[in-house]
Amino acid sequence: MAYVRRRIGGALLVLVLAFIAAYVLLAALPGDAVLARYGNPDLGLTAAQLAEIRAAYGADRPQLVQFFETAGSFLRGDLGYSIQSGAAVSALLAEALPSTLTLAALGLVSAVVLAVVIAITATHPGLRGHRATRALRNLLRGLPPLMVSLPVFWIGIVLIQVFSFQLGLVPVLNAGPIESLILPVATLAIPIAAPLAQVLIRSIDEVLAQPFVSVARARGATNTWLLSRTVARNAVLPALTMAGLLFGELVGGAVVTEAVFGRMGVGQLTAQAVAARDTPVLLAVVVISTVVFVLINLVVDLLYPVLDARLRRSDAAAPTRRAAVAVR
Amino acid sequence: MPSVSRRSALALGLGIPALMTLASCGNGSSGGDGAAAGEPQQGGTLTYLEPQTWTTLYPPAGGFYPNGGLINNLTDRLLYQNPETLALEPWIATALPEVNEDATEYTFTLREGASYSDGTPIDAENVVKNFDLYGIGDPERALTVSEAINNYDHGEVVDATTVKFFFSAPSPGFPQAVSTINSGLLSSATLDRSGEQFGPGNAADLIASGPFVVSAEEIGTQITLAVREDYDWAPASLGHEGRAYLDEIVYLVASESSVRVGTVTSNQAHIARQIDAPDEPQFEADGLVLYAAPTNGVNNSLSFRFRDPALEDIATRQALIAAIDRQAIVDTLFTANYPLATGALGAKALGYVDTSEHYVHDPALAATLLDEAGWVVGADGTRTKDGAPLTLTFNEALPQPRSREVVTLIQEQLAELGIDVQLLPGDQATQDAARAEPGEVQVYHSMVARSDYDVIKSQFSSDNRNALLNGHPDGTVGDEELDALFAQIASTPDEEGRAEASAAAQAHLAEQALILPLFEEPQVYGHVDAVQGFSTESVARPSFYDTWLAG
Repeated sequence: MAYVRRRIGGALLVLVLAFIAAYVLLAALPGDAVLARYGNPDLGLTAAQLAEIRAAYGADRPQLVQFFETAGSFLRGDLGYSIQSGAAVSALLAEALPSTLTLAALGLVSAVVLAVVIAITATHPGLRGHRATRALRNLLRGLPPLMVSLPVFWIGIVLIQVFSFQLGLVPVLNAGPIESLILPVATLAIPIAAPLAQVLIRSIDEVLAQPFVSVARARGATNTWLLSRTVARNAVLPALTMAGLLFGELVGGAVVTEAVFGRMGVGQLTAQAVAARDTPVLLAVVVISTVVFVLINLVVDLLYPVLDARLRRSDAAAPTRRAAVAVR
Repeated sequence: MPSVSRRSALALGLGIPALMTLASCGNGSSGGDGAAAGEPQQGGTLTYLEPQTWTTLYPPAGGFYPNGGLINNLTDRLLYQNPETLALEPWIATALPEVNEDATEYTFTLREGASYSDGTPIDAENVVKNFDLYGIGDPERALTVSEAINNYDHGEVVDATTVKFFFSAPSPGFPQAVSTINSGLLSSATLDRSGEQFGPGNAADLIASGPFVVSAEEIGTQITLAVREDYDWAPASLGHEGRAYLDEIVYLVASESSVRVGTVTSNQAHIARQIDAPDEPQFEADGLVLYAAPTNGVNNSLSFRFRDPALEDIATRQALIAAIDRQAIVDTLFTANYPLATGALGAKALGYVDTSEHYVHDPALAATLLDEAGWVVGADGTRTKDGAPLTLTFNEALPQPRSREVVTLIQEQLAELGIDVQLLPGDQATQDAARAEPGEVQVYHSMVARSDYDVIKSQFSSDNRNALLNGHPDGTVGDEELDALFAQIASTPDEEGRAEASAAAQAHLAEQALILPLFEEPQVYGHVDAVQGFSTESVARPSFYDTWLAG
């Protein structure tokens, strides 16, 4: 229990630090959201008119006052209003979150499936035998490094060009709810599957080299049995750690994917808010991403002892990621 | 991992898009309206792709193209500016206004029977309420004054169909101002809303009188307009009367330009705005049409901020004009839809004067001028005077096409003469902050679209956009004569006088080597040939009233 309390305290600290860092960085840039919206030459406002608007938004007050006011309203659960559009930030997020969560969840699931399929096939000892299967094995082992070096943006464009514009299989814009998910999920899954597969292949290789595998094989275990029963379980820990960290990649990927596919979501919202220097929206996005990131990693940490009996301790000592790695 | 695979991945990355571009260009022979035109058909849903999402439907802030593209189809105006002739014609007003001698009082007679989509009539009281807001603004509600309306004092209801507007000083630009999207009429209840309530999430609650109404909205990605069946007050010079042909228009946001182009060329959407110059060839294929509309205002140009020490000397500014090869810029980066500018204003703009004799490319002359101005080539190749290097910072005009590439090309051209060009990095807010600060930007890249004599004042006067930074934040003005010339354009009551004042201002800009006009900036649309009757208003925002879908 003490462990969980300590973890939550740490999470809160991370949250506060992320909030302050985001605020300070946004404030340090020249110009602000009010200027971004009303200082645009398209409106042709004079300096005096601009000053009136700034006063109406309270943007002329000292930074520190503005910071504490913003922080205070965040604590009360009031996320404020987007300066660019005037819409309530909570309403914007409510509209954007479900779509992004669907995209991210499907993207992560597809990535895990893809990574497991690649890793299992590439490490299957049965493939070592023949020349043809060896070629396949090498090809599969070469795939993750290739995938990891492709930018999300480029994957999205190529998928659209090939499957939508050239082959006409799925429409890009104005598509049905399922059709509109196929290409974005694929775009997001590919770069996330790559590091997962790399880590999995490596740890499976390492586990396969351990003496207990030879013992099991000597006692008649088949390759498939070995992989699924003993090796996979041992090899999954580093991959799980990786998956927790990949959430960051997922957020970054969503920004690009949603922009390319014109999907509404947190990523699109972020991209538009960055362009408009829309501080209230950006702060809300930072806070939400931090909360989710911290939560996911907490869940990952708590899962270690479930997966690996060696990490289950009766005493209150916390299972840590370091311990998990050390055991491996 | 052997290095071969990384290299082949790279080759793949470069190869596939290139192949696709080739493939999509290959089947094209020549563009044009191949499909049968025939009689206009009623019905159908048009899909329109916008690069950016709209931010507000408050008309005075509608200058941003995604906003204007909606407002133009949702609202009516007192007068209609014919995009071909730029002449003003009756719309909600039954005739051009009666105006007093010094252009400080305008009387409009309103047509009867026109109504907002909630059923309330467009009457005198409502029209006055519109302009009392647009002419003065309301900073408390974060509602800005309209840039196009100058010297507004107040409006008066004469009777149910007659309104009279009073100005504190002559305001000859007012009739044109009421024809722009910035003066789109809104219902009285809508005018009471705050700035926030004009933003995304509220579109369906905004009540106007135009041929289309907002029927659905998804924040940030899409907005749907539906036809108004009982619409019957379109300007007479348009193609038809009654309701618009289309049943629905879906505006979709597609920020990635290759997606916009591909979606239209693969027939998944009807029309897209902002087709970049390098993508234009893709619309030469059969069944596709490119539509380039002029913006009729101040050309895409460089403003030399003459109060900056580096550009104080007219010889230095003349040297820049002689050194920059505009033709090379247009040929390298753009297409025939971006004609070389021949003056401060577009060739079709009101008050246009040809000043191209002042803009001749001559690198040898440029070198001589720089020598005469006292700029000596230093050890590192950069010219200096009194120890100060000739370093010029250009802004990046983010809304303008390929501004970064334009500046980069100029950087190469000027480097040969020992002038060091820097590009100001950063987003729009950064650019806007630097734009108004003396010493930050020496050469300002920009343009303005608006088809009235006032446009040149909007761009250069120290009271408005202040492109030359003639007015400093401390209130001082460098060239009083220039400001006086602009003030005259906006305050001379008769059209002839305004044209003369505009010509004088253009001559001053050219003779003092204050600007270098680069090219006439169009808005480029690409559509499938099933789209018929598409047109744009006077500064190239889409008008869908006459548009219909064939087949």
